Amino acid sequence: MVITTENNGGGGNPLPEKEWKFSEILADPRILERWQKVKKWFFLRESTYDMTNRCNIRCDGCYYYEGDKQFARENRELDAWRALMQSEKKRGITYVVLAGAEPSLVLDRCEVCHQEIPLGAIATNGLIFIPESIQYRIHISVWGSDETSLNIRKAKNMLRRQIENYRNDPRAVFVYTFTRENIDQAQPVAEILASEGCRLTFNMFSAPVGYQGTLRHTADSLGECRNVMIDLLGKYPCNVLFSPYSAVAHTHTLGLHDLFSCSYPRMNPSTDIGLGRSFRQYRADLSWDRDAACCVPDTDCPDCRHYAAGSAVVTARMFRHATDPDSFKAWIDYVDTYLAVWVMGYEKGPNLSDNPIAPPGHEIY
Amino acid sequence: MTRDNSIDKILLRVAEIMIQELKLEDVTPETFDPALDLVDEVGIDSMDLATVALVIRDEYRIRIDEDDYPKLTSAQLIAEYIERKLKEKAAEGAAV
Repeated sequence: MVITTENNGGGGNPLPEKEWKFSEILADPRILERWQKVKKWFFLRESTYDMTNRCNIRCDGCYYYEGDKQFARENRELDAWRALMQSEKKRGITYVVLAGAEPSLVLDRCEVCHQEIPLGAIATNGLIFIPESIQYRIHISVWGSDETSLNIRKAKNMLRRQIENYRNDPRAVFVYTFTRENIDQAQPVAEILASEGCRLTFNMFSAPVGYQGTLRHTADSLGECRNVMIDLLGKYPCNVLFSPYSAVAHTHTLGLHDLFSCSYPRMNPSTDIGLGRSFRQYRADLSWDRDAACCVPDTDCPDCRHYAAGSAVVTARMFRHATDPDSFKAWIDYVDTYLAVWVMGYEKGPNLSDNPIAPPGHEIY
Repeated sequence: MTRDNSIDKILLRVAEIMIQELKLEDVTPETFDPALDLVDEVGIDSMDLATVALVIRDEYRIRIDEDDYPKLTSAQLIAEYIERKLKEKAAEGAAV
């Protein structure tokens, strides 16, 4: 076997002392058990859907209101949404992400989607409760303290209102988006969420195309975010759904595409297999465009460190992580995290890898 | 003991690996259609194919480039790829 050190070169990780066979990596019972656990979910094939072009708040740096997708004529016919979901199912889609602009404003459409494809997630600002009949993961976006939310999202008491809606809700995962300006607020916000028994994960602000505002990360802010993420993971292990490798992958000075080669159609011309073949991003008028298709359209690709992107992009790179036990454990932690964040009923196990390691072929920063 | 690495033997072993790793039912290595398109007709995805590639990498001790395995979408293509890699490896060994 000739997988050599080329994928781990570049520093950060010590070079593997031997050429590991995959079967040798799986000989570790902890790795094997986790591998068998995550492997059951490899059937997931996602697409994403803008549910409406309306939102009840307006956030600085919102990706939805960049580009022309916001001008799509909203399809309000429930039958059309049902037909779309049925056709999606026929072409092999098993998982839906309902996003832009604010899906909770169109609950009947969300209900129809859930009736047709039972696995999925809804990205929401959490200000309107989504009924429990919709058993999707609910991702509630948090952008800092209430003071910060008031400034950049123009909404009062946002965290308190989000918690009131989703405290003790097994569907809910609070998604804390690190911007350059709210890094120091993550600790108090995580403390509040943990004290309320809420689960949270981390996202990185990824600039929309052309965005030059103050939320965009720098090398320094990326490093700070990484430290805070790992610190919070240690402090609140029962509440924070994350791993040391997730922190590395999402706070690296290189974005996800440069680290892992983005597999979404917008950056991946191949239609052979995987996301390049099956993924679509539908606008609110139910149209889609392969050239624009990714999970966060209109994001500046070199700056993309978005949690949704990573969930697919890092996960797809199993092969290059299967070089040695440390790399594979890091990858499997990442996948275990991703499944816990996105799949109802999936429970994350303890991370197998305690220390951050470098992505294959790259430095750790 | 020298392993028989004729294309037919490789094909049979690839079919066995497929059946085992992809949990295919109602098919044996002998009845496995080597031309079957694994993506279009069997419905496997990139993670399945990556897993098969890792098992084959172990078994034949050959280098499989990450860019290569997504194109190996039938047992026939996989077997031909293995045969080519084994020949390259043998040539490299002979040259040393």
